[in-house]
Amino acid sequence: MTGDLTTVQDLFQSRLLAGDETVRAHLTAGGPHLGVYDHAYLARLREVMGEDFPALHTLLGDEEFDDAVTGYLADHPSTERSVRWLGRSFAGWLRTTSPWSDLPMAGDMAAFEWGLGLAFDAPDADVLTGEVLAATPPEAWPLLIFDFHPAVNTFVLTHDVADFQQAVTREDDPDAAPEAISPGPETWAAWRDGDSLRVQFRPLSGDEAVGLSLARDGKTFQEICEALARSSGPVAADQGDAALRAAGMLQGWIQAGWIVGVSAEGMSWA
Amino acid sequence: MTRPGDQISGFGLGLRPQHFSDVLAAPQPASGGDGSGVDWFEIISENFMAVGGRPMANLMAVRECYPMAMHGVSLSIGGPDPLDRDYLLSLKDLADRIEPAVISDHLCWTGAHGINLHDLLPLPLTEETLDHVAARVREVQDVLGRRIALENASTYVTFTADCLTEWDFLAELTRRADCDLLLDVNNVYVSAFNHGFDAETYLAGIPAERVKQIHLAGHENNGDHIVDTHDAPVADAVWELYRKAVCRFGAVPTMIERDADIPPFADLVAELAMARRLAAEATGGAAA
Ligand SMILES: [Fe+2]
Repeated sequence: MTGDLTTVQDLFQSRLLAGDETVRAHLTAGGPHLGVYDHAYLARLREVMGEDFPALHTLLGDEEFDDAVTGYLADHPSTERSVRWLGRSFAGWLRTTSPWSDLPMAGDMAAFEWGLGLAFDAPDADVLTGEVLAATPPEAWPLLIFDFHPAVNTFVLTHDVADFQQAVTREDDPDAAPEAISPGPETWAAWRDGDSLRVQFRPLSGDEAVGLSLARDGKTFQEICEALARSSGPVAADQGDAALRAAGMLQGWIQAGWIVGVSAEGMSWA
Repeated sequence: MTRPGDQISGFGLGLRPQHFSDVLAAPQPASGGDGSGVDWFEIISENFMAVGGRPMANLMAVRECYPMAMHGVSLSIGGPDPLDRDYLLSLKDLADRIEPAVISDHLCWTGAHGINLHDLLPLPLTEETLDHVAARVREVQDVLGRRIALENASTYVTFTADCLTEWDFLAELTRRADCDLLLDVNNVYVSAFNHGFDAETYLAGIPAERVKQIHLAGHENNGDHIVDTHDAPVADAVWELYRKAVCRFGAVPTMIERDADIPPFADLVAELAMARRLAAEATGGAAA
């Protein structure tokens, strides 16, 4: 499309995003009520961020939360159709933008709340039962790859923010600020219980974090076993042990309703 | 209980998450002899596109009991960027599940260069805009395999380039694009006040056979301009304009939108009874 329409729209958008007043020349009487649009834009997006990150809001307090949201929205104008995804990059932004980067529990809280949100309303999918594995021929096992339920997601935390967030969700006053996780960053998973549709979450062991990451990346069961054998260090680099541990994890994932499909390239079985 | 069909009539409400439990606790469309209750619900399409879990389970439970309309906010029918194919396919997926009576969005644009400003922005009312919007409505209708209804948004500015009134623009758009209209009576009132045109002239210029749904909502009067806030009961002057709209358009499915300061469900049902009463008076007791 060419012509005056795009010109006016570009100017209108510049006004909303950067305060450029040029568009007024195209408005009747200079657009005395143009400010209504500024207000609607920011107020709406701030409200959405407040709804998506209530525990972070409590953790930071009104003023700091508002500062963080304003800075984030300035750096990340929405490219999403739905405001549902407005906060997609908030945790990463907090972790890399001063002064929030000096307060890692802020990024942790945002990551935690976002992960729980994903688990809450991700699309539905039919989960696999244990019988499918029982019916899998032994020669297929090394080649197995896994499809995960869309609600399953992981995030890395340096602070245990769960109790604080859960208190805010219950509308209680959190007892204490989140504590640092020792010895270091920990991968957590969030998912949705298939019957109650309630959101669940838990920290993963180092092994399970490695295995889950590979499995979600489409690596085969054998590749997962090899990685687990390597990750146990030089002493216990035992393939059989790693295979047992991988099978145990897989069992847990299936029981939790995380897996929606297994397949092996070039093979099929009933 | 069999699922209600894909037509709406009578009086509806915008379905809001706060009210799911109330709606599901008494899930029968209740436009019986006493003239109370809710006949249908409208959902915000984007809230349920590519969504599962509790929100989708609730939605489908409500759909088993009520017919629905789908109302979008980010089609950006007047925007400069190409129409988003994935968005349209996702909208169609949702429509296949919901079987809505009406799929609507707004006569507006929502952003340029891939940015979404999440607001209903005003369009210059020119021949250029008319060509652009009409072509895009046809494209959307081809993907969805059905007509869409476009809603008049409240506006707070007009453009020096304007050469059509909004009602002439909409009337011509329905002809060129073969689309329907969702008439927001509050928005007619708000824009008439803000720009000094006559609301009844607006109604008279709208082709009656294209109006498939009516919106009512509350606004905020700031003295020299009115803002469409959806955070208050419908204003008296808007009720009066609604009565005139019913006289002109007949028993069009009508609903109240409330998006902020959301009151208890029963309050909205009570407010809806006002629409029922006015419409019955205006049509001599023959309101749907
Ligand atoms: Fe509306």
